[in-house]
Amino acid sequence: MSAVTSAADPAEETIRLESRAWKKLKANKSALFGFIIVAFFVGIAVAAPVLPIADPVATDWGAVRKAPSAAHWLGTDEIGRDILSRMIWGAQASLMAGVVSVLIAVLIGVPFGLLSGYFGGWTDQAISRVTDALLATPFLILAIALAAFLGPSLTNAMIAIGLSAMPIFVRLTRGQVLSVKTEDYVEGARAIGLSHFAIMSRYILPNVFAPVLVQATLTVATAIIAEASLSFLGLGQQAPAPSWGSMLNVAKNFMTQAPWMAWWPGAAIFLVVLGFNLLGDGLRDALDPRES
Amino acid sequence: MPTEAPDNAPQNAPVLEVQDLSLRFKGAPANIVDGLSFAVRPGETLCIVGESGCGKSVTALSLMGLLPRGVARVMSGTAIFGGQDLLALPQRALADLRGDRISMIFQEPMTSLNPSYRIGDQIAEIVLRHRPVTRTQARARAQEMLERVKIPAASNRLDDYPHELSGGMRQRVMIAMALANDPVLLIADEPTTALDVTIQAQIIDLIEDLQKESGTALIMITHDLGVVAEIADRVCVMYAGRAVEEGPVAAIFDDPQHPYTIGLMSSVPSVGPRSGRLATIGGMVPAIDNMPDGCRFAPRCPFAGPRCDIAPPLAELGPSHRAACHYAPLESAFAEAAG
Repeated sequence: MSAVTSAADPAEETIRLESRAWKKLKANKSALFGFIIVAFFVGIAVAAPVLPIADPVATDWGAVRKAPSAAHWLGTDEIGRDILSRMIWGAQASLMAGVVSVLIAVLIGVPFGLLSGYFGGWTDQAISRVTDALLATPFLILAIALAAFLGPSLTNAMIAIGLSAMPIFVRLTRGQVLSVKTEDYVEGARAIGLSHFAIMSRYILPNVFAPVLVQATLTVATAIIAEASLSFLGLGQQAPAPSWGSMLNVAKNFMTQAPWMAWWPGAAIFLVVLGFNLLGDGLRDALDPRES
Repeated sequence: MPTEAPDNAPQNAPVLEVQDLSLRFKGAPANIVDGLSFAVRPGETLCIVGESGCGKSVTALSLMGLLPRGVARVMSGTAIFGGQDLLALPQRALADLRGDRISMIFQEPMTSLNPSYRIGDQIAEIVLRHRPVTRTQARARAQEMLERVKIPAASNRLDDYPHELSGGMRQRVMIAMALANDPVLLIADEPTTALDVTIQAQIIDLIEDLQKESGTALIMITHDLGVVAEIADRVCVMYAGRAVEEGPVAAIFDDPQHPYTIGLMSSVPSVGPRSGRLATIGGMVPAIDNMPDGCRFAPRCPFAGPRCDIAPPLAELGPSHRAACHYAPLESAFAEAAG
């Protein structure tokens, strides 16, 4: 008589957090839609140099303000540049501005929020007061002021937007840390002799990261609008390089004669912002490990 | 100089000897733990018993150097562990001891594990922190520990997240972590309170088995007398921050001498025919701002008299059996009263 082996069924062991988060994201229709939109724009932005499209800065005085046609699918602008090409190259500027400025905000904001929430006391006071002061200023006004101070260029616009979005991440991270640091497992980490740095980086950061990631995704959308706004005001991408905001800036002068000049960049901003918002909402649901 | 636990020391030299430990919360008028002394020897299990709020858990935290700063502080006392006074050690030195030579098991297994960390990595972490091993070796140790705490299919479980485990399983993981570095002293703070009764028994048996295997000294903090009867070698009964009685488990259960211990023992329901109502101790534990100067149990004590206005010392009653009561031993007090 052979003994029955008690090996566990390997199938039940394979469900893991990452794959489950991904599954939940895929099952969420609107999040998937958002992901597809974002992926589409990222795709064309990355592929811009190899796509068979016209030069985005080449002017053609024979085709000024032409409506969409077979030659120029999305029409041409006031000096005869192909709008499709400018849209695709402009996607690079817009997405880059969105992602880079949020990276700046996260890379500065999250560490300050961690320090502030973890240590408390005067560290917290100092960081929180500065954060409050920055939060008291409206986001776009602060970004405009910083961009004007740094000088008009896409890089400076990204820095200005990043710094303006940073206090949200300080505040968010600090609040999350305050709730996580009272958890028993943080005390447990101290009870096994770990250093402050190890506790912050391995016990606190991973447990505050999901809301930060969601906020980052949503802030990308805000940052894209902010970049468009700054470019619209002439503080962002400089001519002749295209960005959606600067295209809108020019298009406003020709709203009656050539409305398509405004349609496409407006629609693109709308779609990308929608995409990032849907994706952010979906991530929020998918990344909660306690919710199955 | 005995800095490490010496091999040639007499077998019954205490692993930890706490003398006159007093702790106070910030702004409180009296000590939450007052003049507490106890010792625990290698392989021995000391149960610290008392009701909620009597200072059991803060005592444990103070020994680990984990008292929340600015909230509670040590007023007096020494806690000699391996020749060093835990209460006087700098944080850095304490951090090197914690999880290595002294380990702790917490009350709440559901919240004591990092939810975003695989359990194998959490166990490996404590090994990596204190031992010069590679990641692979630490992981092998983690698996070995999971097997020792009898988690089925341990190699598959290493990559589980805490939320994939039940409460009992998580407490086993906590025990695996606590014992991963073969500590000399294990402090368990109500390790079974959050678990249901059948799992409680399994966990207690497991702790007992592992302790026998490893020879670790164990301080078990509990308010469950059933756990005490099962696992303790010695018992220290605490009331309102003071030790009221201390002795071998048999002496405490069969011949309790302090009126509080007597009340505690008679308030435990037993299986079998009932004889009258279950005994209770009248009154409440005094609030910290209303502590009597003398015996802290006097306001609730049926025997209390004028001399209880002076705090009674722990009087030697038998082989290592002591009680802090002016009337102990009770036999002589009764004889005195009768005569």
